[in-house]
Amino acid sequence: MSGVFDAEKLGRCISCGFCLPACPTYALTGDEAASPRGRITLMRALEEGRLDVTDPASLEQSSFCLGCRACEPVCPAGVEYGTLLEQWRDHQWQGAARPVLARWLMALVSRAWLLRLQGLVRGHARGKGEPRGAALLLGCVERGLYPEVSRAARELRGELAAPSGQGCCGALHAHNGDSRTGGAMAALVGARLPGVIVTTAGGCAAHLAAHLGRERVKEFSEYLAEHEVVPSGEVRVAGRRARVALQDSCHLRNALGVFAEPRALIGAVADYVELPGAAGCCGAAGTYSLLRKRDSMRVLAPKLDAIAEAEVDFVVAVNPGCLRQLRQGLKSRGSTVRAIHLAELLAMAQRDWTLSKRKGDA
Amino acid sequence: MPFTAEFADELARIVGHQHLRLGPGELAPYSRDATPLFSAEPDAVVFPGDAEEVSAVLKLATEHSVPVVPRGAGSNLCAGTVPVDGGVVLVLTRLNRILEISDGELLARVEPGVTTNTLSEAAEKRGLRYVPDPGSRMVSTVGGNIATCAGGLRGLKYGVTRNYVLGLEAVLPTGEIIRTGGRLWKDVAGYDLTRLLTGSEGTLAVLTEATVALVPAPSGGGTGVAYFTSLEAACGAVAAIIESGVLPATLEFLDRKCVRAVEEFARLGLRTDAGALLLFGDDGPAEAVAENIDRIGKACVAEGALEVTLADDITSAEALLAARRCSLPALSRLGSLTILEDATVPRPRLAEMVGRIDDIAERHELRIATFGHAGDGNLHPTCVLDPGDTGAVERAHKAFGEIFTAAIELGGTITGEHGVGAAKLPYLLDRLGPEQVALLRRIKAAFDPASILNPGKLGS
Ligand SMILES: Cc1cc2nc3c(=O)[nH]c(=O)nc-3n(C[C@H](O)[C@H](O)[C@H](O)COP(=O)(O)OP(=O)(O)OC[C@H]3O[C@@H](n4cnc5c(N)ncnc54)[C@H](O)[C@@H]3O)c2cc1C
Ligand code: SF4
Ligand code: SF4
Repeated sequence: MSGVFDAEKLGRCISCGFCLPACPTYALTGDEAASPRGRITLMRALEEGRLDVTDPASLEQSSFCLGCRACEPVCPAGVEYGTLLEQWRDHQWQGAARPVLARWLMALVSRAWLLRLQGLVRGHARGKGEPRGAALLLGCVERGLYPEVSRAARELRGELAAPSGQGCCGALHAHNGDSRTGGAMAALVGARLPGVIVTTAGGCAAHLAAHLGRERVKEFSEYLAEHEVVPSGEVRVAGRRARVALQDSCHLRNALGVFAEPRALIGAVADYVELPGAAGCCGAAGTYSLLRKRDSMRVLAPKLDAIAEAEVDFVVAVNPGCLRQLRQGLKSRGSTVRAIHLAELLAMAQRDWTLSKRKGDA
Repeated sequence: MPFTAEFADELARIVGHQHLRLGPGELAPYSRDATPLFSAEPDAVVFPGDAEEVSAVLKLATEHSVPVVPRGAGSNLCAGTVPVDGGVVLVLTRLNRILEISDGELLARVEPGVTTNTLSEAAEKRGLRYVPDPGSRMVSTVGGNIATCAGGLRGLKYGVTRNYVLGLEAVLPTGEIIRTGGRLWKDVAGYDLTRLLTGSEGTLAVLTEATVALVPAPSGGGTGVAYFTSLEAACGAVAAIIESGVLPATLEFLDRKCVRAVEEFARLGLRTDAGALLLFGDDGPAEAVAENIDRIGKACVAEGALEVTLADDITSAEALLAARRCSLPALSRLGSLTILEDATVPRPRLAEMVGRIDDIAERHELRIATFGHAGDGNLHPTCVLDPGDTGAVERAHKAFGEIFTAAIELGGTITGEHGVGAAKLPYLLDRLGPEQVALLRRIKAAFDPASILNPGKLGS
């Protein structure tokens, strides 16, 4: 026994295979090694010393796995795959084995002053004064790429404080082979933002909840639902209510069980359209879309087909990585469908927003 | 049995490098299936793309006497896909197309790697139904179902997979590709090789295509639950239900331990204080279903049921069935080593068998929960233990040996649906007798002269 894995957690799996149909990488390959059960068998071989830490197939599988945790809610034995995956990567992704890009990103987000600077430049939400009950987490990716999301969140809920200098939650570290630092960063955020933390990123929500406790962390839609907030207006397109679909955030759905709330909120301001496979991973999976672009696109492809077929105006995401993935995918297909964050959609409704004409319409 | 580098090169020539796995980390996941306590590593894993490639691989293996183990989803519970003698694991998941659904002939033609659920859903979209319904339907493949002659939750009224296989394309270990049966319900030319291959557990030929019968989807359905003080009482009700003249589509039972475990996972509001639960269901025209369900409920009450509740919509009925399907993994929450077995007795002996299992468990100081297909007399005694406790593991083996003996004594058998595989092979002689086992071996030799196909299983 090498003590890499939590023995009790690894021992949970009874190899029933119920998780196979939920796994996107198994769906792509039909290869047991690319299934949750197969990966757990690999972890056991590592744990028992039958497999070397440098084994290329084990390295490949630890990276091919999206970390989407779709295997968790369907597992009747209650296997905590997400934790096992973190332990696996902690073990395998050391030194040169960790992708260069991941190392670079990890260094970037662990510097609070850099994040602050980036946020200032991009103009993310700022809320002066003491947090009144809840604080808005300014996700590290979101600050850089989509500062409009935190602005929209503040526009909707003025009571959310958004102090800068809060740092990054550490999910990126935890998912890339350094769960110790990932945990420490989460604890630091917890100390800097006492009380309830509200986040507009499903990935951050799950990671923070795992370290700070479920009660202290609320994803934005969950927070709104809890406070019974319903936006007053609606989003219209060409004279009718907009047709809007949702792409679940894997971590939000599979780790925290939040999926009804965003749907209800969308339904309140527009016509909600359920995409077939909305619960399945879009392939963004944190840094995955950067580290394994080709596989990431293979996972996304059927989703883009489903979106095209559904004839929607908007696809809503509840996580910045998914938002980026959807935007890029839609763009590459020349689609007129717009991908936006839930907070943005709701802010639009608040402003009684109407898109008079869709691009391409006569 | 020599597996050499040259042999591997030949495999690569047949299927292409990208469909051949040789590295230790690539092979490890194929060392086991859903069966606990069995594990052995193959020398190679191949993913053939069509019957010709399967044929070439088998021919090569016969020439070099290298074992080949066919594999679908690896969800079997008898170590049927564990490569006990090493060699090649032949994975059929790439062959996963539904080739045809014919409404007029009420049949589907599929490749073996299609999952049971995919086929069911495709049939449903056309207003048809693929009847076999194993608990593992979301995972298991049609090829694996046919190779194990899988049963399921609709066995009582509709029978098992065997009843729905019309024809097969199969590759013999020597490489010939044969087509047995076909598209006809009536066809009696020659020995019934379709039936022989159905349930042959990958020891006679590799199935590369199947033609299966569909039925018109029933227009309605109903499901209910009856609670009893004990499993014996529930078994008594099973007899009363059948005697009342109803043949339910589904009649499943769970003992107290199973109900608790399932409730813990699925949270359906099942009564966890009862000693046992009977899950019953029927399908067909709405009126007939309502009448049957009513009669079943009444029979249960007459037999002393504590409570009978009916599922009032399809969603809650589906949830109940889904809960039943997950009994095994849900039980595993009680301890990390879960050994599920599969024995069948004539229906009137069900209560007696349940009593014997309880005695055996008590005598060996084991925690054995029992669930199963009450209507078929098919029981799944399931032992939950701590893998570190080697004494308990030993005792469990002994206990299961006694359970199989008890089943045979009561006129039953050592497996009703999971198959023999490597796990049950030691008990086969007891069940079949030496003459029949010898005949099985001669049949095996006729199909597989070099004895390469799934060695250590049936026919060995
Ligand atoms: C939770 C759970 C519930 C289950 N419920 C049921 C149930 O209700 N009823 C039931 O009968 N079983 C049940 N099973 C057992 C199992 O799912 C079935 O035996 C299933 O038919 C196996 O299908 P598979 O695709 O996984 O085949 P595998 O496990 O891959 O293979 C099973 C056997 O078939 C052979 N085989 C597979 N494909 C081919 C092929 N194309 N050609 C030749 N041989 C082949 C293999 O060599 C092996 O011997 C259950 C299992 C689990 C884990
Ligand atoms: S569903 Fe859970 S117990 Fe079953 S194989 Fe997957 S991880 Fe293991
Ligand atoms: S986390 Fe996602 S990709 Fe990884 S094994 Fe689980 S289901 Fe498959």
